[in-house]
Amino acid sequence: MRVGMPHMGNVYIPFKALFQRLNVDLVIPPVNNQRTLSLGVRYSPEGLCIPFKLTLGNLIEATELGADTLIMPAGYGTCRLGYYAKTQEQILRELGHNFEMIQVGISEQKLFGILGMIKRLSNNASWYKIISAFRFGIAKLNALDRIEQVVHKVRPLERIKGTANRLFVKAVKAIDEVDDYSTLKKVQRDYIDQLNQVPKDTETPPLIVGITGEFYVVLEPFSNLDVESELGKLGVEVRRTTFVSEWTKFSLFLNPLGMDEKDRIHKAAQPYLKRDIGGDGWESVGEKVLHAKKYDGLVHLAPFTCMPEIIAQNIMTSTKETIPVLTILCDEQLAKPGMLTRLEAFVDLLERKRRISNNNR
Amino acid sequence: MIKIGIPRALLYYQYYPMWQTFFHELGAEVVVSPPTTETVLSSGSSRVVAETCLPVKLFLGHVLSLIEKCDYIFIPAIRSVQSKVYNCSKFLGLPDMTKAVIPESPPILDIDIDINKGKRKLYQAIYQLGRHFTWNPSKVRRASIAAWQAHLNYRQVMSDSGLTPPQAIEEISGTPKPEPKTHSSNPTSPQATVAIIGHPYLLYDEHISYRLIHRLEQAHNRVLTPEMLTTQELESAIARLVGRAYWTYEEEVVGAGEHYLKSGADGIIGIMAFGCGPDSLMMDMVRRQAARLRTTPFMSLTLDEHTAEAGVVTRLEAFLDMIYRKKRKQVEICV
Repeated sequence: MRVGMPHMGNVYIPFKALFQRLNVDLVIPPVNNQRTLSLGVRYSPEGLCIPFKLTLGNLIEATELGADTLIMPAGYGTCRLGYYAKTQEQILRELGHNFEMIQVGISEQKLFGILGMIKRLSNNASWYKIISAFRFGIAKLNALDRIEQVVHKVRPLERIKGTANRLFVKAVKAIDEVDDYSTLKKVQRDYIDQLNQVPKDTETPPLIVGITGEFYVVLEPFSNLDVESELGKLGVEVRRTTFVSEWTKFSLFLNPLGMDEKDRIHKAAQPYLKRDIGGDGWESVGEKVLHAKKYDGLVHLAPFTCMPEIIAQNIMTSTKETIPVLTILCDEQLAKPGMLTRLEAFVDLLERKRRISNNNR
Repeated sequence: MIKIGIPRALLYYQYYPMWQTFFHELGAEVVVSPPTTETVLSSGSSRVVAETCLPVKLFLGHVLSLIEKCDYIFIPAIRSVQSKVYNCSKFLGLPDMTKAVIPESPPILDIDIDINKGKRKLYQAIYQLGRHFTWNPSKVRRASIAAWQAHLNYRQVMSDSGLTPPQAIEEISGTPKPEPKTHSSNPTSPQATVAIIGHPYLLYDEHISYRLIHRLEQAHNRVLTPEMLTTQELESAIARLVGRAYWTYEEEVVGAGEHYLKSGADGIIGIMAFGCGPDSLMMDMVRRQAARLRTTPFMSLTLDEHTAEAGVVTRLEAFLDMIYRKKRKQVEICV
């Protein structure tokens, strides 16, 4: 049995560690690239969002590499996500691939759904083995996200642009290669130190821009044309609350215990949007309200035709709390020069705004 | 008397008799917005970001046309009417979004309908809604029972006499009909039987569907719609094709599509709106099934604000020609 799964950012690294420890043969398709996107676009229905197209591309590339068991997240009460696997399965079968599709109900089965799936794939390994492998995967995930948070801070300040990104690429590779907790800790400390020692310009505090929007396009740099790096190059520090490690911590472990990290965000959204509308629409509205006073601007990322984000986008324009928002719709038509022009104009606007408010003070 | 406005769009076609009865029983008057015109659609479009889907733009246009004609506007947030089957985000966000983009609208009466939260929550929500009119819980109870009866009656009328929702609403409310029912009552035998599938708010809005049903009937075809099938037929069709329904109104597309692909129709036309999330997947499901079966021709029409009437008519004529030719050939083979 060869297992294939779609990409989202660096999530493949923890999964690789997890499956390696359980001796499951995991096929990792090439990280998202132009071919993945073209394949996805060619075989998808036209009105679908970019997460569907890219994940379909990943699954096609995984089957080409010999995967015969495909994992795809699903679940009720989310957005179109719950229907992805059904449609992708049909598309892949029509392309003549032979495989078994495993749907993981992330929204209703939570931790047990994922653990159950792992147990099945690992050919009934003992629970002790599964849980220790799972813990190691999560440790890698946490390390990746800690380093990325430091990268966000270093990018806008570094003297030589691109240093932080180069270090991050190395760090990702190093984390991928380690095989025990102590080296993992060491690697994490090492790279954070190195990042902190990068020569920086600290004369003017950088502009702070929040990143909000739909989960996949926020976390998959290929789909948003690496908007965070581009903002970093323009001297902007990005802040985002969405990290896969946070998501795992809360939605797998703490939410079932009644703790909800998003309560604060939902409360902030309450006057404008009273209820969950699926996807991350509620959170987008809430984050705008919350960040209005704290940040200089907000970049709102959404896949084209994403239902919850369209609602959010319509509501966000009318909140009492104001902050400049740049909505970027991600799909296969999004091109770098166009996006850069918009980002530059946006950053110019934020700089001017800050200058004016400093003069008034 | 309090006037409640109901926009003639989206769920109006599914639930109008129920809502009308409920408010009437509570002593309120119901005002429905006039049928869609170009102005209604363009005024709605002007309020929202461009990629919002056509039915929602249309809905907002109808809300705009109700301003100053009523004291409240009724916009429910229907999350789920079946266990673990959920609705599109657009329906859930509708009350809040309307408030955000049309600040001048009359106060909005919203109600959360989510069957998954249990009956108690549902009753509470209904009572909350009724509280705007009366403090008496038993009066609200009577009104909701009457409303439910009206809804069942409405469904019955549609499936028994093969009426479309607008025709059934007319029949129930007893307004005199200027023209006799044209439905499936052509004197000569029909040229072909064409099923149209899609959501009622697209099929029966004569402005955005370019009077498709009327055109088909004028060309002497029998028209079948999703409402003419019983719930059992629709459910078993969904079970065959996708297993378990995922979207609240999946039966109108996948259920009816699968049913008519297998029986009763010479051709199927699927109507969807550009930017519709659920339909982009559901219509594709039906299209793939049609391609696999290769028995019944299938055409899908995507509607948006730009769709030109001539383009729709040309495609319709070409599709009908193909069906007629196919039928003729079959007859020749038999002879």
